[in-house]
Amino acid sequence: MQQLLELVKQAHASGDYQPLVDLIPYAQVLGVKCECYGEEIIFRLPSNPDNIGNPTIPAIHGGVIASFMELTALFQLTLQLPQPGLAKIIDFSVDYMRSGLDRDTFAICQISRQGRRVGNCSVVAWQERKSKPIAQARAHFLLDTRVTAEIED
Amino acid sequence: MKKNDFGARCMRFLDAQPHMRKLGIRLISAEKSKVTLVLPVQSQLLTEGIDTYFHGGVLTTLVDAASSVSTLCALEQFELCPTLDLRIDHMRTPVQSESLFVSAECYRVTRSVLFTRASVFQDDPDRPVAYAIATFMRPEGGVTDSAFRAMIEGASDATTA
Repeated sequence: MQQLLELVKQAHASGDYQPLVDLIPYAQVLGVKCECYGEEIIFRLPSNPDNIGNPTIPAIHGGVIASFMELTALFQLTLQLPQPGLAKIIDFSVDYMRSGLDRDTFAICQISRQGRRVGNCSVVAWQERKSKPIAQARAHFLLDTRVTAEIED
Repeated sequence: MKKNDFGARCMRFLDAQPHMRKLGIRLISAEKSKVTLVLPVQSQLLTEGIDTYFHGGVLTTLVDAASSVSTLCALEQFELCPTLDLRIDHMRTPVQSESLFVSAECYRVTRSVLFTRASVFQDDPDRPVAYAIATFMRPEGGVTDSAFRAMIEGASDATTA
Protein backbone atom coordinates (compact mmCIF):
# COMPACT_ATOMS: atom_id res chain seq x y z
CA MET A 1 0.00 0.00 0.00
CA GLN A 2 2.86 2.38 0.82
CA GLN A 3 4.28 1.52 -2.56
CA LEU A 4 1.02 2.57 -4.22
CA LEU A 5 0.95 5.93 -2.45
CA GLU A 6 4.57 6.51 -3.36
CA LEU A 7 3.80 5.71 -7.01
CA VAL A 8 0.83 8.10 -7.05
CA LYS A 9 3.06 10.84 -5.68
CA GLN A 10 5.76 10.15 -8.26
CA ALA A 11 3.20 10.00 -11.09
CA HIS A 12 1.76 13.39 -10.10
CA ALA A 13 5.26 14.85 -10.01
CA SER A 14 6.43 13.46 -13.34
CA GLY A 15 3.12 13.47 -15.23
CA ASP A 16 3.81 9.87 -16.28
CA TYR A 17 1.02 7.64 -15.00
CA GLN A 18 1.98 4.48 -16.89
CA PRO A 19 3.83 2.86 -13.92
CA LEU A 20 0.55 3.07 -11.97
CA VAL A 21 -1.42 1.43 -14.77
CA ASP A 22 1.19 -1.31 -14.96
CA LEU A 23 0.56 -2.08 -11.30
CA ILE A 24 -2.69 -3.74 -12.33
CA PRO A 25 -2.07 -7.13 -13.92
CA TYR A 26 -5.23 -7.22 -16.06
CA ALA A 27 -4.43 -3.74 -17.43
CA GLN A 28 -1.12 -5.16 -18.60
CA VAL A 29 -2.82 -8.20 -20.12
CA LEU A 30 -5.09 -5.86 -22.10
CA GLY A 31 -2.19 -3.51 -22.91
CA VAL A 32 -3.76 -0.29 -21.57
CA LYS A 33 -1.80 2.92 -22.15
CA CYS A 34 -2.27 6.21 -20.36
CA GLU A 35 -1.62 9.58 -22.00
CA CYS A 36 -1.74 12.99 -20.36
CA TYR A 37 -2.62 16.16 -22.22
CA GLY A 38 -2.40 18.98 -19.73
CA GLU A 39 -4.92 18.04 -17.08
CA GLU A 40 -6.80 15.64 -19.36
CA ILE A 41 -5.97 11.97 -19.13
CA ILE A 42 -6.88 9.87 -22.14
CA PHE A 43 -6.59 6.11 -21.95
CA ARG A 44 -5.69 4.12 -25.01
CA LEU A 45 -6.26 0.45 -25.66
CA PRO A 46 -3.98 -0.41 -28.60
CA SER A 47 -5.18 -2.96 -31.14
CA ASN A 48 -4.24 -6.37 -29.74
CA PRO A 49 -5.03 -9.77 -31.31
CA ASP A 50 -5.52 -11.28 -27.83
CA ASN A 51 -8.40 -8.87 -27.10
CA ILE A 52 -10.60 -10.12 -29.91
CA GLY A 53 -13.98 -11.64 -29.07
CA ASN A 54 -15.57 -12.02 -32.48
CA PRO A 55 -13.00 -13.41 -34.92
CA THR A 56 -15.09 -12.98 -38.07
CA ILE A 57 -15.64 -9.18 -37.98
CA PRO A 58 -13.08 -9.07 -36.16
CA ALA A 59 -14.25 -7.16 -33.08
CA ILE A 60 -12.91 -6.55 -29.58
CA HIS A 61 -14.51 -8.65 -26.81
CA GLY A 62 -17.29 -6.69 -25.10
CA GLY A 63 -15.88 -7.52 -21.68
CA VAL A 64 -12.53 -6.07 -22.71
CA ILE A 65 -14.15 -2.77 -23.70
CA ALA A 66 -16.08 -2.63 -20.42
CA SER A 67 -12.99 -3.48 -18.33
CA PHE A 68 -10.97 -0.86 -20.15
CA MET A 69 -13.65 1.73 -19.34
CA GLU A 70 -13.84 0.64 -15.72
CA LEU A 71 -10.09 1.00 -15.44
CA THR A 72 -10.32 4.49 -16.94
CA ALA A 73 -12.81 5.49 -14.24
CA LEU A 74 -10.79 3.87 -11.46
CA PHE A 75 -7.68 5.80 -12.44
CA GLN A 76 -9.32 9.12 -13.02
CA LEU A 77 -10.87 8.87 -9.57
CA THR A 78 -7.77 7.56 -7.81
CA LEU A 79 -5.66 10.35 -9.27
CA GLN A 80 -8.20 13.01 -8.43
CA LEU A 81 -8.55 12.08 -4.76
CA PRO A 82 -7.20 14.81 -2.51
CA GLN A 83 -5.27 12.15 -0.66
CA PRO A 84 -4.23 9.18 -2.75
CA GLY A 85 -6.21 6.12 -1.79
CA LEU A 86 -7.98 3.20 -3.32
CA ALA A 87 -11.30 3.62 -5.08
CA LYS A 88 -13.32 0.40 -4.90
CA ILE A 89 -15.85 -0.41 -7.58
CA ILE A 90 -19.47 -0.66 -6.36
CA ASP A 91 -21.31 -0.99 -9.65
CA PHE A 92 -20.69 -0.56 -13.32
CA SER A 93 -23.20 -0.21 -16.13
CA VAL A 94 -22.24 -0.14 -19.79
CA ASP A 95 -24.21 0.52 -22.98
CA TYR A 96 -22.69 -0.88 -26.13
CA MET A 97 -23.40 1.30 -29.14
CA ARG A 98 -21.16 0.06 -31.95
CA SER A 99 -18.84 -2.88 -32.53
CA GLY A 100 -15.32 -2.20 -31.30
CA LEU A 101 -13.22 -2.97 -34.36
CA ASP A 102 -9.69 -4.30 -34.22
CA ARG A 103 -8.00 -0.92 -33.90
CA ASP A 104 -6.98 1.50 -31.14
CA THR A 105 -9.75 2.42 -28.70
CA PHE A 106 -9.77 5.54 -26.52
CA ALA A 107 -11.59 6.37 -23.32
CA ILE A 108 -12.03 9.37 -21.12
CA CYS A 109 -13.77 9.62 -17.76
CA GLN A 110 -15.70 12.45 -16.25
CA ILE A 111 -16.30 12.55 -12.51
CA SER A 112 -19.79 13.89 -12.11
CA ARG A 113 -19.71 13.96 -8.35
CA GLN A 114 -17.08 13.17 -5.79
CA GLY A 115 -18.47 12.94 -2.31
CA ARG A 116 -16.83 11.90 0.92
CA ARG A 117 -17.60 8.22 0.43
CA VAL A 118 -18.85 7.73 -3.12
CA GLY A 119 -17.67 8.89 -6.52
CA ASN A 120 -19.97 8.97 -9.58
CA CYS A 121 -18.28 8.62 -12.95
CA SER A 122 -19.25 8.46 -16.57
CA VAL A 123 -16.95 7.09 -19.22
CA VAL A 124 -17.08 7.28 -22.99
CA ALA A 125 -15.10 5.05 -25.35
CA TRP A 126 -14.52 5.69 -29.03
CA GLN A 127 -12.37 4.72 -31.98
CA GLU A 128 -12.70 7.09 -34.96
CA ARG A 129 -14.32 10.10 -33.33
CA LYS A 130 -15.38 10.91 -29.82
CA SER A 131 -18.76 12.00 -31.19
CA LYS A 132 -19.26 8.42 -32.45
CA PRO A 133 -18.78 6.44 -29.23
CA ILE A 134 -18.60 2.64 -29.30
CA ALA A 135 -19.75 2.48 -25.67
CA GLN A 136 -20.65 4.63 -22.71
CA ALA A 137 -20.68 3.66 -19.06
CA ARG A 138 -21.61 4.84 -15.59
CA ALA A 139 -19.94 3.68 -12.43
CA HIS A 140 -20.01 4.21 -8.68
CA PHE A 141 -16.89 3.81 -6.58
CA LEU A 142 -16.45 3.62 -2.84
CA LEU A 143 -13.71 6.00 -1.80
CA ASP A 144 -11.95 4.09 0.89
CA THR A 145 -10.92 6.90 3.16
CA ARG A 146 -10.51 4.41 5.99
CA VAL A 147 -7.66 2.69 4.16
CA THR A 148 -6.06 6.05 3.49
CA ALA A 149 -6.56 7.10 7.10
CA GLU A 150 -4.94 3.91 8.38
CA ILE A 151 -1.90 4.59 6.29
CA GLU A 152 -1.76 8.18 7.43
CA ASP A 153 -1.70 7.05 11.08
CA MET B 1 -31.36 -30.08 -28.48
CA LYS B 2 -29.61 -32.58 -26.23
CA LYS B 3 -27.79 -31.44 -23.11
CA ASN B 4 -24.29 -32.32 -24.37
CA ASP B 5 -24.96 -30.52 -27.67
CA PHE B 6 -25.32 -27.28 -25.72
CA GLY B 7 -21.96 -28.02 -24.10
CA ALA B 8 -20.24 -28.65 -27.43
CA ARG B 9 -21.72 -25.46 -28.91
CA CYS B 10 -20.59 -23.39 -25.92
CA MET B 11 -17.08 -24.83 -25.99
CA ARG B 12 -16.68 -24.08 -29.69
CA PHE B 13 -17.93 -20.54 -29.05
CA LEU B 14 -15.36 -20.00 -26.28
CA ASP B 15 -12.57 -21.56 -28.36
CA ALA B 16 -13.39 -19.22 -31.25
CA GLN B 17 -12.63 -16.12 -29.14
CA PRO B 18 -8.96 -15.20 -28.77
CA HIS B 19 -9.56 -13.30 -25.51
CA MET B 20 -11.26 -16.31 -23.91
CA ARG B 21 -8.26 -18.46 -24.86
CA LYS B 22 -5.90 -15.81 -23.47
CA LEU B 23 -7.65 -15.95 -20.05
CA GLY B 24 -8.28 -19.71 -20.14
CA ILE B 25 -12.02 -19.25 -19.42
CA ARG B 26 -13.55 -22.74 -19.56
CA LEU B 27 -17.01 -24.25 -19.56
CA ILE B 28 -17.93 -26.30 -16.47
CA SER B 29 -21.52 -27.15 -17.34
CA ALA B 30 -24.23 -26.27 -19.82
CA GLU B 31 -27.93 -27.07 -19.86
CA LYS B 32 -31.04 -25.46 -21.33
CA SER B 33 -30.63 -21.67 -20.80
CA LYS B 34 -27.96 -22.08 -18.10
CA VAL B 35 -24.18 -22.28 -18.03
CA THR B 36 -21.34 -22.25 -15.52
CA LEU B 37 -17.84 -21.09 -16.47
CA VAL B 38 -14.57 -20.81 -14.58
CA LEU B 39 -11.66 -18.38 -14.65
CA PRO B 40 -8.71 -20.34 -13.25
CA VAL B 41 -6.04 -18.80 -11.02
CA GLN B 42 -3.23 -17.60 -13.31
CA SER B 43 0.05 -15.78 -12.83
CA GLN B 44 -0.74 -13.09 -15.43
CA LEU B 45 -3.56 -11.78 -13.17
CA LEU B 46 -1.75 -11.84 -9.84
CA THR B 47 -0.39 -8.84 -7.99
CA GLU B 48 2.56 -9.80 -5.87
CA GLY B 49 2.20 -9.38 -2.12
CA ILE B 50 -1.60 -8.96 -1.92
CA ASP B 51 -4.41 -11.46 -2.26
CA THR B 52 -7.04 -9.28 -3.87
CA TYR B 53 -7.80 -7.70 -7.21
CA PHE B 54 -7.00 -3.99 -7.50
CA HIS B 55 -9.31 -3.81 -10.45
CA GLY B 56 -12.68 -5.50 -10.89
CA GLY B 57 -12.13 -5.55 -14.64
CA VAL B 58 -11.54 -9.22 -15.18
CA LEU B 59 -14.89 -9.98 -13.50
CA THR B 60 -16.62 -7.80 -16.07
CA THR B 61 -15.05 -9.81 -18.86
CA LEU B 62 -16.03 -13.05 -17.12
CA VAL B 63 -19.71 -12.11 -16.67
CA ASP B 64 -19.95 -10.70 -20.17
CA ALA B 65 -18.61 -14.00 -21.50
CA ALA B 66 -20.92 -16.14 -19.35
CA SER B 67 -23.99 -14.06 -20.19
CA SER B 68 -23.38 -14.36 -23.91
CA VAL B 69 -22.68 -18.09 -23.62
CA SER B 70 -25.98 -18.55 -21.75
CA THR B 71 -27.83 -17.10 -24.75
CA LEU B 72 -26.39 -19.93 -26.86
CA CYS B 73 -28.23 -22.40 -24.64
CA ALA B 74 -31.53 -20.56 -24.92
CA LEU B 75 -31.76 -20.51 -28.71
CA GLU B 76 -32.50 -23.36 -31.10
CA GLN B 77 -29.83 -22.26 -33.54
CA PHE B 78 -26.70 -20.22 -33.02
CA GLU B 79 -27.35 -16.50 -33.46
CA LEU B 80 -24.65 -13.93 -32.96
CA CYS B 81 -26.23 -11.54 -30.45
CA PRO B 82 -24.33 -8.34 -29.61
CA THR B 83 -24.54 -7.08 -26.02
CA LEU B 84 -26.85 -4.11 -25.63
CA ASP B 85 -26.07 -3.35 -22.02
CA LEU B 86 -24.48 -4.93 -19.01
CA ARG B 87 -24.71 -3.92 -15.38
CA ILE B 88 -22.56 -5.45 -12.71
CA ASP B 89 -22.78 -5.02 -8.92
CA HIS B 90 -19.70 -5.85 -6.90
CA MET B 91 -20.71 -7.29 -3.54
CA ARG B 92 -17.43 -8.43 -2.07
CA THR B 93 -13.78 -8.44 -2.96
CA PRO B 94 -12.66 -11.76 -4.40
CA VAL B 95 -9.35 -13.36 -3.43
CA GLN B 96 -6.75 -13.93 -6.12
CA SER B 97 -5.73 -17.33 -4.82
CA GLU B 98 -9.01 -19.06 -5.76
CA SER B 99 -10.71 -19.62 -9.10
CA LEU B 100 -13.69 -17.45 -10.02
CA PHE B 101 -16.86 -19.27 -11.08
CA VAL B 102 -19.78 -17.69 -12.85
CA SER B 103 -23.28 -19.08 -13.34
CA ALA B 104 -25.39 -17.38 -15.97
CA GLU B 105 -28.96 -17.86 -17.09
CA CYS B 106 -30.79 -16.53 -20.12
CA TYR B 107 -34.19 -16.20 -18.44
CA ARG B 108 -36.24 -14.55 -21.15
CA VAL B 109 -36.18 -14.80 -24.92
CA THR B 110 -38.24 -12.45 -27.06
CA ARG B 111 -38.28 -11.90 -30.81
CA SER B 112 -35.66 -9.15 -30.62
CA VAL B 113 -34.08 -9.20 -27.18
CA LEU B 114 -32.52 -11.75 -24.80
CA PHE B 115 -32.36 -11.12 -21.03
CA THR B 116 -29.69 -12.70 -18.83
CA ARG B 117 -28.54 -12.72 -15.21
CA ALA B 118 -25.25 -13.98 -13.85
CA SER B 119 -23.57 -14.37 -10.50
CA VAL B 120 -19.88 -14.73 -9.73
CA PHE B 121 -18.66 -16.73 -6.74
CA GLN B 122 -15.60 -18.45 -5.34
CA ASP B 123 -16.05 -21.08 -2.61
CA ASP B 124 -19.80 -20.74 -2.03
CA PRO B 125 -22.49 -19.97 -4.66
CA ASP B 126 -24.61 -18.44 -1.86
CA ARG B 127 -21.94 -15.85 -1.15
CA PRO B 128 -21.65 -14.11 -4.51
CA VAL B 129 -18.77 -11.80 -5.32
CA ALA B 130 -20.71 -10.02 -8.05
CA TYR B 131 -24.09 -10.08 -9.76
CA ALA B 132 -24.86 -8.93 -13.28
CA ILE B 133 -27.78 -8.45 -15.61
CA ALA B 134 -27.45 -7.98 -19.34
CA THR B 135 -29.49 -7.71 -22.52
CA PHE B 136 -28.58 -8.91 -25.99
CA MET B 137 -30.02 -8.01 -29.40
CA ARG B 138 -31.01 -10.84 -31.70
CA PRO B 139 -30.01 -10.31 -35.32
CA GLU B 140 -32.86 -9.26 -37.58
CA GLY B 141 -34.46 -12.28 -39.19
CA GLY B 142 -31.98 -14.53 -37.36
CA VAL B 143 -29.29 -13.64 -39.88
CA THR B 144 -25.82 -14.58 -38.68
CA ASP B 145 -22.70 -14.93 -40.79
CA SER B 146 -23.01 -18.51 -42.07
CA ALA B 147 -19.29 -19.29 -41.78
CA PHE B 148 -19.31 -18.25 -38.12
CA ARG B 149 -22.49 -20.21 -37.48
CA ALA B 150 -20.98 -23.33 -39.05
CA MET B 151 -17.94 -22.91 -36.81
CA ILE B 152 -20.06 -22.73 -33.65
CA GLU B 153 -22.67 -25.34 -34.60
CA GLY B 154 -20.01 -27.87 -35.59
CA ALA B 155 -19.70 -29.81 -38.82
CA SER B 156 -22.74 -32.09 -38.39
CA ASP B 157 -25.21 -29.27 -37.67
CA ALA B 158 -23.80 -26.98 -40.33
CA THR B 159 -24.91 -29.26 -43.14
CA THR B 160 -28.52 -29.12 -41.97
CA ALA B 161 -28.50 -25.37 -41.26
